[in-house]
Amino acid sequence: MAQNKYKILVVEEERNIQSLVSAILEGEGYTVLTASSVEEGRLMYLSHLPDLIILDLGLPDGDGTQLISYVRESDTTPIIILSARGEESEKVRALDLGANDYVTKPFGSRELPARVRSCLRSHRHSSEEGHLPGGKFVLGDMVIDYDARRMFLNGEEIKLTQTEYNIIALLSERCGKMMSYSAIIKAVWRDGADDGSIKRLQVNMANIRKKMGIRPGESSYIVNELGVGYRMQDKA
Amino acid sequence: MKAGSRRRWLIDLLITVSSFAASLVLGIILGEVFDIREQVTAVFIFSVFIVSLLTDGYHYGIITTVASVIFINYAFIPPFYGFDFTVTENILSTVIMLVISLGTSTLTTQLKRGRMYKARGEQEMMRANLLRAVSHDLRTPLTTIYGSSSALLDSYEVLTDKQRENMVKGIREDSEWLIRIVENLLSVTKLDGGKAKIIKSPTVLDELIDSVAVKFKNRYPDRHVDISIPDSIAVIPMDPLLIEQVLLNMLENAVKHAKGMTALSLTVTTNESEATFTVSDNGCGIDKSKLDRLFDDRYSTSELSPDSDGKNAGIGLSVCATIIKVHGGTIRAENGKSGGAVFSFTLSL
Repeated sequence: MAQNKYKILVVEEERNIQSLVSAILEGEGYTVLTASSVEEGRLMYLSHLPDLIILDLGLPDGDGTQLISYVRESDTTPIIILSARGEESEKVRALDLGANDYVTKPFGSRELPARVRSCLRSHRHSSEEGHLPGGKFVLGDMVIDYDARRMFLNGEEIKLTQTEYNIIALLSERCGKMMSYSAIIKAVWRDGADDGSIKRLQVNMANIRKKMGIRPGESSYIVNELGVGYRMQDKA
Repeated sequence: MKAGSRRRWLIDLLITVSSFAASLVLGIILGEVFDIREQVTAVFIFSVFIVSLLTDGYHYGIITTVASVIFINYAFIPPFYGFDFTVTENILSTVIMLVISLGTSTLTTQLKRGRMYKARGEQEMMRANLLRAVSHDLRTPLTTIYGSSSALLDSYEVLTDKQRENMVKGIREDSEWLIRIVENLLSVTKLDGGKAKIIKSPTVLDELIDSVAVKFKNRYPDRHVDISIPDSIAVIPMDPLLIEQVLLNMLENAVKHAKGMTALSLTVTTNESEATFTVSDNGCGIDKSKLDRLFDDRYSTSELSPDSDGKNAGIGLSVCATIIKVHGGTIRAENGKSGGAVFSFTLSL
């Protein structure tokens, strides 16, 4: 059990879930801190400055989203939400407030560490290199050349339309973060999210995937969360 | 709700006015043209009956009665075109009309209430059956989970490694099953007896199928699914999360029940008016006797079918049927020509 340097704060009211999450993460070598309310979470965050926060939204003294807003006032610490299926609108709200990703309850022992790793990796990536316009973005065998506005896969160029490129560039700049439909639409079209614009986004996304030669269900660089949004990540 | 009651009010008023106007015209024709004034009263009585039958409550019938009495008295009873409310004939017809109006209104109101109570009763019964069946379905996996975990805690040392492993495996398997039941229940509560309106949003087929394929792969990493969808991008109005649930239920049903299956496929075809989704396997097929009742809502009948292997497909498939029903589509199950089961449903474009 190799120790790594990361400290993770788990904010969860349910004792059993708290100890399960702790056990899974400690097994991966992380140092785990726990809190069971918004207030306790805030204090732990201030005194320990964790590298990542895992947050349940239903807490006894308030809504977990309060903690997201609080942290985002001063820092970009990755935040992963624990939430249940059927609460899509809640997930979207948390994402738009600044949460990086979410894990749906109930989750398996592999899902959570995978998401934690991916969040930490992309956070380090973006803080080391910065997502300045220009330069290159490299993820596995995918390369995005921000200067030339071109995208390559296995050394071959994927011909994208302007809109398709804008979507890909946006997701790559926020690599590892789950972006809600409305956040993408706002950034790409400067438009509000409605049925029509979500359809337009999905059509563009389906075309991008086709051009990249990815068949439905194949693990790819773009994760599609139906009803919520998209995330760019390294192949699992 | 408000808009609805206002519309009802307008319809009632329209019925009253038009039926009164019709009897007025008929009355005038009978009285003036054919000179048979004795029959005019009958025409108006009929109009009172129609109004009481078709409108809500008592007031429209009574308004029609009063208007009819005044009009008959004025135009058809001597002195013609003048009022004399002391005529016996007129008082009698007033009483008759009032009795008919009140009687009819009372009957129709009772009829409507009865129908409402019956519908409510059926819904209550369905809910009670659902609760009973679900508690029954939940008990089986809970028995494994509770029993195995307490055995592990209490007699850890006594058990062999193999026994421990089997118990933990059992716990995981049965909790996965619990997760599916809860997911299906969530979908059912969203639908509430098949009556609730769903919000359809235009969904790009590729995105739906991608999400289904990824989720299925996570659950059954070793089970390959042949996917075939149209090359051109299709946009289908639906509640994407509910349709995703239907497809996952159908695929999972094949994994659980199609014995001897070696190939599993998901195909979507479209024409001008609808999209057809088909899940087919080459397993053992569906027993003929079960084919007809496969999608029956086992919770709508009072009797619980003690389905053979406990872990039945019942809830999953009846949830599929309900979801497709509220989408206005059709769902069917049959045996393929070359063996295996074929499940399909349509959604209009």
